Amino acid sequence: MLEHREEITAYALLAPALLISFAIIAYPVISAVDLSLQELRLTQVGRARRVWTPANYARLFADPEFWRAGWTTLRLVAVVVSGSLAVGLGTALVVNDRFVGRKAARIAVALPWAIPAVMAAVIWWWMFDSSFGVINWFLVKLGVVAAPVAWFNRPGTAFAAIAAIMIWKGYPFMSVMLLAGLQAIPTELYEASKADGAGRIAQFRYVTLPALRPVMGIALILIILWVFREFPIIWLITGGGPIGATRTLAVATYETGFKFLRIGEAASLGVITLVISFALSALLIRRVESDAR
Amino acid sequence: MYDGSMAGPLRKLLAAVAVCAVAAGAAWGTGETEQASEDVVLDFVSWQVDEPGAGDWWSEAIARFESEHPGVTVNFTKIARDSYVDQMTTLFVGGNGPDIVHLASFEYPQFAAEGWLEDLAPWAADAGLDLTGWAGQDKCWWEGEMNCIMLLYFGFTMVYHEGLLADAGLAVPTTWEQFVAAARALTVDTDGDGIIDRFGTSHHTVSGNQYLTEMLNYVVDTGAYWTDADGRAAMDTPQMIEALTHWKIVLTENLTPLNVGSGEARQMLAEGKVAMHFDGPWIWGIVRGAAPDVLAQLKFAPVPFNTPVGGSSNVIGMNSGIDDAHKQLVWDFIATITSQEFQEKYATVGGQPAPRPNAVPAGIYEAVPHFDLLVEATAAAAAAGVDRLPKGLETVFNEFASIVIEEMQRMVIDDLDPAAVAATLQQRTIELQNRR
Repeated sequence: MLEHREEITAYALLAPALLISFAIIAYPVISAVDLSLQELRLTQVGRARRVWTPANYARLFADPEFWRAGWTTLRLVAVVVSGSLAVGLGTALVVNDRFVGRKAARIAVALPWAIPAVMAAVIWWWMFDSSFGVINWFLVKLGVVAAPVAWFNRPGTAFAAIAAIMIWKGYPFMSVMLLAGLQAIPTELYEASKADGAGRIAQFRYVTLPALRPVMGIALILIILWVFREFPIIWLITGGGPIGATRTLAVATYETGFKFLRIGEAASLGVITLVISFALSALLIRRVESDAR
Repeated sequence: MYDGSMAGPLRKLLAAVAVCAVAAGAAWGTGETEQASEDVVLDFVSWQVDEPGAGDWWSEAIARFESEHPGVTVNFTKIARDSYVDQMTTLFVGGNGPDIVHLASFEYPQFAAEGWLEDLAPWAADAGLDLTGWAGQDKCWWEGEMNCIMLLYFGFTMVYHEGLLADAGLAVPTTWEQFVAAARALTVDTDGDGIIDRFGTSHHTVSGNQYLTEMLNYVVDTGAYWTDADGRAAMDTPQMIEALTHWKIVLTENLTPLNVGSGEARQMLAEGKVAMHFDGPWIWGIVRGAAPDVLAQLKFAPVPFNTPVGGSSNVIGMNSGIDDAHKQLVWDFIATITSQEFQEKYATVGGQPAPRPNAVPAGIYEAVPHFDLLVEATAAAAAAGVDRLPKGLETVFNEFASIVIEEMQRMVIDDLDPAAVAATLQQRTIELQNRR
């Protein structure tokens, strides 16, 4: 009886926070779904409601540009997530060791995460500039390329440049998370494995990686969601071009809603992006939970 | 300003705030509160707030208006150009559009089409404002209503670096053939590091509607245009194919720096890194800021094409959703800026011809030595009926611009035949028009 009363009190205390959280999450999602089912221009929002219709979704699914944007997003997720993981893990292992200047190195590793995306976009845009950028200057000086590369004028190089910039922006988060994970691994595990004759590679494979899996899973989910919704870097540098090579679902949503004013169609794009993100997150969370068990 | 379409909860919240405000006023009952309730504020949003020239002119006009209307304040707020139309649209959708509406002319039709702008024809008639001969004013008519007054109608001129042309033994070009030959000769790697660092010309080549304005130089030269007189797509004419061929040459031969916006393109001219540049009257503000050695070399000439790019630039209008008292004040403000005095100031401060006929102030030639060229370019563009906003695509211009940019990128990247590109553009433009 006492336990039951405590339970009710606990729920009552949690209720306001739960209600606010629900409202914050549910209201925009419901609004987006509502908008996505109306054939509406941005200029008509707030006026008379339109009847619900699946027309926006039908139009999207029939549009090759939508599938292309989806494919571009998935490719970007794959490249940026694996790049961030590789660089983040590498830097986390380096700054986890003891050496002179470790504190400064840790700050340096985390720095790109602290730089606002807009500022990062402008800096990299100039660095990649075909005529005056420092990257082309180095490549030409070193003889890697005979002539400057117009990075943002070719689909392949534009995609590669955007992916590189996003890895640069995203790896510090992975690095910081994994560093925390590394510091939580008991030293006894390394000592025991050493006593069993394990070398550094074997220790990394059988001790470090398994111990990092839960934190790595959480970090991967967050990085995937970040790539899905990333907008300023792509928009400011390539605007989604050339010929749609960097046009992700996030860019397509903005362009459709605010440039072309087709807010209903943009909302349906947003809903589809949400569903994909949710599905990917659910898969990863299940994986993390099974690892934890 | 408020049109009654606000969502229920927000309306209730505002009502509650209003009730509280009234209650507070009643409770305190101070003279200060009474004075505040008599004050009127006109909201005016613009991207030109801190723009040299135009911003000064607006500030002067606001000061004059406020001095003539005690108790009325103009709340002059900046929204950046890049996000201007997005934010203005959001303001109007939310029922919070500014009282005084300042828009780029290519944005104006979509606001007029939604009924957000007052018909100014009766106001002009009542005030006796004669708009005969007012440059570009015909562009302000939308479905039988005059929803704006043109603030600037312009023609493009060419700024060229006299020393660079002279060193190469080149005369100032007057045709496409001469222009492209000069651009090829003047596009060079000056320090031998393998990277081109001086260009024959400079264009905005990143995304955005400005891309079409730059391209339009080559389009109107061949006698092409995006649509015909009836607003039907005209993207696959022989003239358009020729124009696309010219544009492809400029891009593929790197005669212009790639991936630069209009700001960078202009700055490169001011730094002596560009030999020839086409632009509107506003380029004078950039040229004047060049280093003395470059400034001495930068000269103005007519564009080396058959017809200069030209057209309407920006307009002023009135929010149709505000009350009559506010409307009268907004009209008074419009009357101030369209007066002979302020139109002459516009020419002096802005360095560009004002739309009002004969608004040529004394001393303009000292301030703007090439003023005659600007007037001639404006007249030439107007006579040819050139405008940046094509008939039949007014409300979908952003999407049309995106289509053109994408197909131009495809033409360059895949080295496509301009005739095939023109056919694709024609098909996509028709699809866009049918979709509305």
